[in-house]
Amino acid sequence: MTPRFSLLLFVMAGLVVAFVPLPVPPIAPQERTFRIEAGQFAYSPSELKVNPGDTVTIQLVSTDVVHGLYVDGYDISIEADPGQTATLTFTAGKAGSFRFRCNVTCGAMHPFMIGKLNVGSNNWLYRSIGVALLAVVGVTLSLKQKT
Amino acid sequence: MNRSEFLSRIFVITGIILAIGAPLVFWTRTPLIHARMAENGGWNPDIIQAEVGQPLDLKLTSDDVVHGFAVGQMDMQSVDVLPGKVTDLTLIFDKPGIYTFFCTRWCGLNHWRMRGTIEVSGSSADPEPASIPMYVTLDLDIDAPHESPVVPQQIPSAIRGQELITNSPILQSPDYYRSHSPYQAFTDLSHTTLAEPQRWDVVAYIWQSNTTPESLANGQQLYAQNCAACHGENGAGDGVFADDLAASGEASMQTMTGADNMMMQSPVDFTNPTRMLGASPALLQGKILRGGMGTGMPMWGSIFTEEQIWDLVAYIYSFQFKYHY
Repeated sequence: MTPRFSLLLFVMAGLVVAFVPLPVPPIAPQERTFRIEAGQFAYSPSELKVNPGDTVTIQLVSTDVVHGLYVDGYDISIEADPGQTATLTFTAGKAGSFRFRCNVTCGAMHPFMIGKLNVGSNNWLYRSIGVALLAVVGVTLSLKQKT
Repeated sequence: MNRSEFLSRIFVITGIILAIGAPLVFWTRTPLIHARMAENGGWNPDIIQAEVGQPLDLKLTSDDVVHGFAVGQMDMQSVDVLPGKVTDLTLIFDKPGIYTFFCTRWCGLNHWRMRGTIEVSGSSADPEPASIPMYVTLDLDIDAPHESPVVPQQIPSAIRGQELITNSPILQSPDYYRSHSPYQAFTDLSHTTLAEPQRWDVVAYIWQSNTTPESLANGQQLYAQNCAACHGENGAGDGVFADDLAASGEASMQTMTGADNMMMQSPVDFTNPTRMLGASPALLQGKILRGGMGTGMPMWGSIFTEEQIWDLVAYIYSFQFKYHY
């Protein structure tokens, strides 16, 4: 095997790992409701898991000052005063992991008030792990060939 | 240094002083009012002077979290006071007096302590005497317990009450409604042939007929904005601050007569029929008006208008009665 051919092989394998669509078992969309308590400076729960296509309802309850919740990627937000639960309903159409963050200045640590919305499994993580492993194998093989 | 150089130097220096000084003078004329959480000082300054009929310019900014600004008993839209931004506001006062301004966005357990005053000077043509609240004219002791010895087995329904009342009209004046507790109305109905649950239904109808859907909606909005953080969105006394209030009540020295009184730091449960059916609207008005009771209950008399308090009282009873609307 010439080095050039094996390089091509590894690049092809990498592209396959990175981009070939996985067979997705169809999951019926559900309605999910989450009650998130927001306090200085954390959400509880701070990680939400849903399936793509689910109708997600978030009830935001503030326990001290005015807090907000903005979902990256979806570009939607709500704001809740203590004693006034705010509700946000949306369809989780985009798959992936998205940050949600407080969008109302709520004190000194406000920029660190974040959480995560997982829509479907985190394929990009597994794919990038696969590509990284492939690269390690490729580099090891090429070093062995040279010696 | 020749003469022309000297003159031009003076000219340049005067120009610089004017360029810096003039905006500074304008800036200090309307001072910036800083808002902080009550624990950190509240409003600064917290006393503002104004004159009748003269526009009062205010600049507001926040040093920590989101606050709001509104003046009590004044028909105005509250404005948000945001950290890092300056909110401009112009107010005109028609009557002299001392007005209370307050924070309108919940900014913590002591949010309601964040208040200040605007002293409006000037002569008024006809000074209106303050109306005496009803609990004073009725000589009600609003600190004493007023409990209902009997409570209904099921939630009284104004719809059923209205059906009962069609054949024997019992109309009650607003004065009767305001000065009597539901329990008193219930005992006043004992001369009728109605059974006990039916009498409670009629009481619910009397309470409903003394309010309007608009009043209830207004009361609900005021409740959500000002009361729900402690008393709970469903009136059960379980708001997000209820635990914090109880904890701070244990720690504070506000009540010195022992642990029993300290329990009063817990917000009142409006879904408790023993308490609510024994309380007349005048009693509730007094409690909202004056606040206190050795608890964290704020004094709302300087903020809400009389009408707003009656709307709130009407809404609070809706935790006990099933209304038509």
